[in-house]
Amino acid sequence: MTAPNSAERKACWGARDLLWKCLDDNNDNAESCKNFQGEFEAKCPAQWVKYFTKRRDFLKYKEQMEAEGFTPTDGPKQPS
Amino acid sequence: MLGSKCVLRDLCGGGRLLRNLHHMQRSFGSSSSSSLTSQSQHGGLRPGLPQLALRRILSYDRHGGLRSGLPQLALRRFLSHDQSSSSRSAHMKLRTRLVVTLLFGSGLMAAWWWVYSEKQEKLRQQRIEQLRRVALGQGTFSLLDHKGQRRTKKDFLDHWVLLYFGFTHCPDICPDELDKLSAVVSKLDGDPSLPPVQPLFITVDPERDDVAALASYVKDFHPRLIGLTGTPEEVKHAGRDYRVYASPGPKDEDGDYIVDHTILIYLLSPDGLFLDYYNRMKNCEQITESVRNHIRNYVPLNST
Repeated sequence: MTAPNSAERKACWGARDLLWKCLDDNNDNAESCKNFQGEFEAKCPAQWVKYFTKRRDFLKYKEQMEAEGFTPTDGPKQPS
Repeated sequence: MLGSKCVLRDLCGGGRLLRNLHHMQRSFGSSSSSSLTSQSQHGGLRPGLPQLALRRILSYDRHGGLRSGLPQLALRRFLSHDQSSSSRSAHMKLRTRLVVTLLFGSGLMAAWWWVYSEKQEKLRQQRIEQLRRVALGQGTFSLLDHKGQRRTKKDFLDHWVLLYFGFTHCPDICPDELDKLSAVVSKLDGDPSLPPVQPLFITVDPERDDVAALASYVKDFHPRLIGLTGTPEEVKHAGRDYRVYASPGPKDEDGDYIVDHTILIYLLSPDGLFLDYYNRMKNCEQITESVRNHIRNYVPLNST
């Protein structure tokens, strides 16, 4: 299976951007963006779909850290 | 008018006059003390010599000219000279002060600039020393380019090289970086004073990226971009030369996988050694400027 060429890459990125915009507008409500999700999965290889989904999660997490700051969890209990 | 000036001068110098009067009294006094005492003895109102002198000094005639006694003339001359010379000297002092300050200030700035450039030079020398010790990129690699021709490291010696490791199935990072790389090379091509820089793309995914795959991949970027591939051993060897990290991820149901790898653009000097690197944060202009500076200030890392 050959890699996507330039045109296919751009199509995939376009679909991804539309999906992400929809999710941003609907506050990450996956239900309302089902058709964008379908488009995105059709135009991009499966690996890329997984990669971009994880990437979005990471970017959201980064935004949250930058806005709210980092609160460390309690950590493992010390052995008594 | 002259009179009023004289009055003013006299009033100002009045204090001095009175003081001088004391001296005058002394000088006159020795000759006339006897007459004074004789006066007082007689109880006469004949004005004493000091009083006469004072009146004379402070008198003017109607035309405003001051009948100047000798001490008065000398004093006036001294005063007038002093006043205008003091204003002149004050004026000169200001100008000299200004000039001195400017000279001092520019001297300070020159000294600062000299110290700063010395430090920069020292940092540069240190960096070159470190690079020399690391000497990254020794050894030779032997790979196939995207036209099927065998290429070794020797073919790229005496060229400036911008090298990127990646793979064709890369979702977004490799295309972005290769676009950036192509833009940098195009910009440098536009500068006739610089030698041509060779862009290179070496795959970290030899299993899937054969010559055909590379051929279709590199045509989307700079026309001089050369893609290199080979057997897994050859590719691993090249990656090791430049300490490149590459790790294929898990395969999914399509057999597709993503390779995690170092996403740096390497600058190689004409002796084939690593000179600098650029990460995702550096934009096209910054990289272009940096390469230009390296080419201009090039010192071969190899001692021969």
